[in-house]
Amino acid sequence: MSSEAEILADKFSELWRWERRKRREQVFLTVSFYSVAAALLALPFAVFLPVPWSRWLMPIVWFLLLAPILLFKRRWRREDSARALARLDRALGLEERALTAWELIERGDSRPAAQLVVKQAAVQLKGLDPTALFHRRWHRHHVLALPLLALWLALMGFDIDRRFNSGVVPSMTVTTALKLREYARALQERAQSEGLRQSLGLGKDLAKVAQQAIDAKTTEDQFKKELAATSRQIEAMGKAAGEPPSPWTAESQQSLRDLKAELEAARQLLQFPETAKGTEPLGQQWLDRLAGLPQLKRQFDQENQSAQKLSQNALQAFIDRWEKQATGELDRRTLLEAQQYLDQLRNQGQGENGEQNLHASGGREQEGSGEAGKARTNSSLPGKEPGRKDERFQSLPEFATGAPARVKGQLGAGDSSGLVFKGKPLPGKSELSQEEVIATYRRQAEAELNSERVPEALKETIKNYFMSLGQSEGKK
Amino acid sequence: MESVTEIEQRMQSARRAFDELKAEMARFIVGHEELIEQVFIALVCGGHCLLEGVPGLGKTLMVRSLGEILSLSFSRIQFTPDLMPADITGTNVLTDDPSGRKIFEFQRGPVFAHIVLADEINRATPKTQSALLEAMQEQSVTVGGKAHRLESPFMVLATQNPIEMEGTYPLPEAQVDRFFFKLVLRYPSREELARIADLTTATPPAPPREVLDGASILQIRQWVREVPLAEIVKDYAVRIVMGTHGGEALDNGTASSARKFVLYGSSPRGLQSLILAAKARALLAGRPNVSFEDIRVMVAPSLRHRLILNLEADAEGIGAEKILAEVLERVAEVL
Repeated sequence: MSSEAEILADKFSELWRWERRKRREQVFLTVSFYSVAAALLALPFAVFLPVPWSRWLMPIVWFLLLAPILLFKRRWRREDSARALARLDRALGLEERALTAWELIERGDSRPAAQLVVKQAAVQLKGLDPTALFHRRWHRHHVLALPLLALWLALMGFDIDRRFNSGVVPSMTVTTALKLREYARALQERAQSEGLRQSLGLGKDLAKVAQQAIDAKTTEDQFKKELAATSRQIEAMGKAAGEPPSPWTAESQQSLRDLKAELEAARQLLQFPETAKGTEPLGQQWLDRLAGLPQLKRQFDQENQSAQKLSQNALQAFIDRWEKQATGELDRRTLLEAQQYLDQLRNQGQGENGEQNLHASGGREQEGSGEAGKARTNSSLPGKEPGRKDERFQSLPEFATGAPARVKGQLGAGDSSGLVFKGKPLPGKSELSQEEVIATYRRQAEAELNSERVPEALKETIKNYFMSLGQSEGKK
Repeated sequence: MESVTEIEQRMQSARRAFDELKAEMARFIVGHEELIEQVFIALVCGGHCLLEGVPGLGKTLMVRSLGEILSLSFSRIQFTPDLMPADITGTNVLTDDPSGRKIFEFQRGPVFAHIVLADEINRATPKTQSALLEAMQEQSVTVGGKAHRLESPFMVLATQNPIEMEGTYPLPEAQVDRFFFKLVLRYPSREELARIADLTTATPPAPPREVLDGASILQIRQWVREVPLAEIVKDYAVRIVMGTHGGEALDNGTASSARKFVLYGSSPRGLQSLILAAKARALLAGRPNVSFEDIRVMVAPSLRHRLILNLEADAEGIGAEKILAEVLERVAEVL
């Protein structure tokens, strides 16, 4: 081989190496682009993957699938070598000298005319730098590969796939878990407000189970198993709570709640200065106030106890015992409700029918003794049991709830002025009895007094006001 | 054996000769540079040309000037319907030999020249046309059972008028195929017309100078065949010829208008002409190899008369050149 031929062979090899490298880079970027694009398109289906973390591997899987195909399809062939040389000829205006010289060298053509072609090509290509002559050229999809990857990572970071999935293509597990989480939150709120210790713990457990299912850390089977296990655990807790048998099982849930409120009020009354002596029988004023607590009074009557004869300590013991029993009974019923709800969740079929059934059966709550089959409401949430009025028919004003407000200033009796009108009261249109209204007001007042929203100094005033309502009712 | 330097020298001499020819021709012929180049290419390739153009475009002047510049013998035959084959080839005439005996002696016809201008070839009868075509193909004439060899280089430049088709005998396709090139003379531009007027209405120019002789032409003809041709370039030419066939899909997979309008595509003779012409063009350009551009430039003169179009093409006014242009557009240089 002549020196010119050697020069050309070197230059051609250099050119092809560079072109191969560019092609590999382009293939890599093309595959990257299509892999990320495919992963983006498959984002809504990522939650269906059996292992939750495997959704992060989607682009890599696509890459591994596409790369061999594209690498094979765009493998370097003889035609590519020829094309590269034709492009070189065009770029340098060699009029196919390089292409012809390549073929002549390959053929081993030693004719003077062939050698002349090789010589002229070698002269032209001696200083060839392919990297400077043929720069990398990127297409749109090459440039978009990285931003697309960043977008995908961002979407995955924000769990868009799960949100999208829960909004558009809900999976049975996620839908059920979302319902369970909602139920658990409501249960916790209710248990906290009513002091139901076991129910509160259960609510926390249920919220945890639901959150795990929503985060796709558990499979559908695991989720169902966990629901079954929790249901069994509740059953055991309910049995434990029912020992010894409660005397309050015949009471309605509303009665129990009223009783609890009245017990709380009674406990407050016992702390009045006039009743603080402890061993002395209670005063007439306290007894009068007790008359305004109908549920408590009924319980005293049922136990054939005369509150007049009881000392403050004995009465305190009574209140403590009753409160414990009432709370236990409420706790037991709440647990039973939760168990039923969980059983229904597990047994529900998938799809819209199942969801409808879930709503219907989820709304059932126990009435009275807690046995199934009694009247039920249409809500699955705790606290919507019969006895409570629907909001549409609620005539009683609600106490404003919101951020605690702090009022600056000195407390004390201020000046007041007003006119006194005397007239014959006319019957209103309300169908609620006065007792019911006062009891509801009192309950709400008790709840508010227990919260921090009512300033400590005003609590006594408010309490006295509601007690006075009871007195006036008794006088009537 | 020749060395690389000798090859370089002969290429330079070929180019120089061609440049001189062009310069000398430019003294008599205004414009038509491309046409002159193509005629010269046909000459150095040993081919014949069919010139088509309306009367008065300088066909005859060009051919006569070429003959004078090349120092070659030149004859002109005006084809008419009553022209007989013997009027072209020559005939045996009865004469006395030196001893006084009566003998038949062959009287050579006008075809015995290096360059023959067959003017309005389509006006003669097919019998007469075929007499010339035999001479073109075989480079010999047979009269009275005796073959008479024509001198080399031998080139026929036949002209035909695209108008006034009445009373003409169009050349059969098989005979047209024997022409190396079909060249079409265009009407001169405004500037060219002005120059023609100056040239022909003033003092006539000095007689042409001989720049090339027959031997040199035969030498160049030999060199043309030695020009290297890359396989890829040859494949390009082959694919172009294939593209003129109606049934063949082109490289990009779409059917061309050749499929719709071409009855018969180019013959293998068309490919031979194309490649040989491309080689000659490369040589005359002082290049040792054939380029894609050489092929592209030579496609029209080599193939335009080899496409037989159907009636639909006639009806739609589609010509061979349009189809060839489309073929060139669609065929990739390298697959």
